[in-house]
Amino acid sequence: MADPTPVTPARPSEVTLRGGDLPWRPVSPMLTRVRLISVGIVVLPLLLATVVAAVFASPWALVGTLVVALLGLWAVWLVGRQVSAISWVELDEEIVIRKGRMLRTLVSVPYGRLQYVDIQSGPLERAFGIASCEIHTASPESGGSLPGLPVAEAEALRSRLAARGEAQRAGL
Amino acid sequence: MTDPVPEPSGEWQRLHPLSPLLRGGVVLLAILGYAASQLFDTFLNSLGFGDVFVGTDGSPADDRGGGDPFEQAVDHPFIALVGLVLFLAVIAGVNWVSWRYSRFRVGGGQVELRQGVLFRQHRQVRLERVQAVELSRPLLARALGLARVVVQSAGGSDSTLTLSFLDLGRAEALREHLLELAGRTDEAALVPTDAVGPMGAATGSSPPPDAGTPPDAGTRPDVVGAPQPWAGSHPVLEVPNGRLFVATILHGSTIALGALVVFGLIGAGVRSVGPLALAGIPALLPVALGIAINRFKELLTHGNFHLADSGSAVRVQEGLTDLRATTIPLHRIQALELVQPLWWRPVGWWRIRVNVAGSGGQGEGEGQRETTLLPVGTLEDARLVLALVAPGVPANAWDGAVLGDGTDPGWRGRTAAARWLDPLSWRRNGWLDVASAVLLRSGRFTRRAIAVPHARIQSLTLRQGWLETRLGLATVHVVPAPGPVSPVLAHLDVARAEDFLAEVSERARSARRRSEPPRAPLAPDPSGLVDWSRHPQGTPEPERP
Repeated sequence: MADPTPVTPARPSEVTLRGGDLPWRPVSPMLTRVRLISVGIVVLPLLLATVVAAVFASPWALVGTLVVALLGLWAVWLVGRQVSAISWVELDEEIVIRKGRMLRTLVSVPYGRLQYVDIQSGPLERAFGIASCEIHTASPESGGSLPGLPVAEAEALRSRLAARGEAQRAGL
Repeated sequence: MTDPVPEPSGEWQRLHPLSPLLRGGVVLLAILGYAASQLFDTFLNSLGFGDVFVGTDGSPADDRGGGDPFEQAVDHPFIALVGLVLFLAVIAGVNWVSWRYSRFRVGGGQVELRQGVLFRQHRQVRLERVQAVELSRPLLARALGLARVVVQSAGGSDSTLTLSFLDLGRAEALREHLLELAGRTDEAALVPTDAVGPMGAATGSSPPPDAGTPPDAGTRPDVVGAPQPWAGSHPVLEVPNGRLFVATILHGSTIALGALVVFGLIGAGVRSVGPLALAGIPALLPVALGIAINRFKELLTHGNFHLADSGSAVRVQEGLTDLRATTIPLHRIQALELVQPLWWRPVGWWRIRVNVAGSGGQGEGEGQRETTLLPVGTLEDARLVLALVAPGVPANAWDGAVLGDGTDPGWRGRTAAARWLDPLSWRRNGWLDVASAVLLRSGRFTRRAIAVPHARIQSLTLRQGWLETRLGLATVHVVPAPGPVSPVLAHLDVARAEDFLAEVSERARSARRRSEPPRAPLAPDPSGLVDWSRHPQGTPEPERP
């Protein structure tokens, strides 16, 4: 709470799908590691299984190894791109979250519409000191989620959002 | 208490004496019916008519006399009668106790209901949280002239308070009274000065100046003095059941089924595929049954549809057997959709549905039912309803939204590049900003127009898929509170979509600022809306033996 509130005094007209001049803030690079580990947890056993099958059963299983390896590499590349595409900015009345490259989304949630903010952190995320921040409005589909914030920053964001939500709250 | 209207002064009131019986419902009635028929039988027997029926056998009297004394005693009409009377007395007693122990009151800014003898419940709903108050009349209750009052509040699926049953007049008066109180607290946002005063006077101790006046003057002056929006509800339109019937049949599923049957018949005529087509018929039966049930349900729900205007709310009454009346305060409407499905075009019919805060979320059936403001109607009917519920949107804007095409003045968003993705409707897709709302239109064959008040927008989302990126397009979602209406504007030029985002957020900002409630917001009431815990003055644990 002590940190200066990083509100960007920008009009929403400067918000664009591809970013633009606003000071978009990236998420923690730790998120890349967490996601890479998740990919590894899925891919490595598969790789091992196909190799074992190639040794003991038929060398043709190496085709499977190759496919899994390629998929794994693609996933690794994708994780990097995805994480670097997540960014957010706090305007004076909205928080805007951008995500994705192939499938771009941009969510703009007014502070006055916030119902509550969730902070979640799984064991893997906690090991890397990050948490995800989920924003809920009165509509279940409209909330934005912001994965991979450093825990302290997530907490600070939540209290900022709560304070502004209280100040700008609009009736339903 | 001398009022014809149920006295709101915080007195505990009872429900209708027959209500436990009705709540027990069909089972109890069946038992009673059985008992009555038995009684009638024994009565006939006791009069000697029984002998007439068994008399053909020749020796009824011998049978009677031949049994052992106990059986004879049970058989005796008098004993049976006593048993029945006892049985009825027990039912009546249970009924009476249950009736005695369920009480409700309106006062202190809330509605409260206490129920139960062994397991006591105390449920309360704060009046300012009331979203809708409706009357429901199941068939049995209708026969007895009773009605059930359902008070809905914002919150989970548990947040309703049901008063079943009251007699119809009392129920209606209570509903109006509740809505009046709830509506007035809502209007506190607009008239902050005297909003608290009347409520306090109505519920609490009367202030010194009122000391000389009769005790119920504390409530009466402001009831009379304030404009009474709930009293002067006048009918706006009704939907004839015949039209509803035709419209219900004119539905995608039934038309598809009809086409299938026609093709099947033609196929059956052609010799080579005849047997095949005939074999297909049984497979179609469950589908046909499903469709029939679905359509019938629609008809059952929206039959006898009446819409009335009561000032700051609309009142919907519908139901073929289970007649329900719902009141939707206008300011609770979050989004509104006017649709003309393709098969309604030849007849020129439209349907209007809305998202209402607090009623759309859970329980699909419930949500569906409360959110249809016009199940089927002509454009004239639709205009009537629109003028009522969306007075801020000028009529010519609606005309452009429903019938417009191409480049009407004011409408934007027509994107030529979208013709690859929307070959039919790209000319129509677009939006228009009017004073208080944003209008979206789409659909070439199934025409659709959606209005979302700026002040009700929850959030805005832009999406861009891979193909859209290639074509330089983006899709805009305007997200209101949940309900049947989901406003989407597909495949806009990216720059236009960003313009949309900018302009609509800007308007939403100023709309929020305007509608910002000056009252202390939700903060002082963090507890659940419906309190299941016992009342502070409640009696101690009665369920312990």
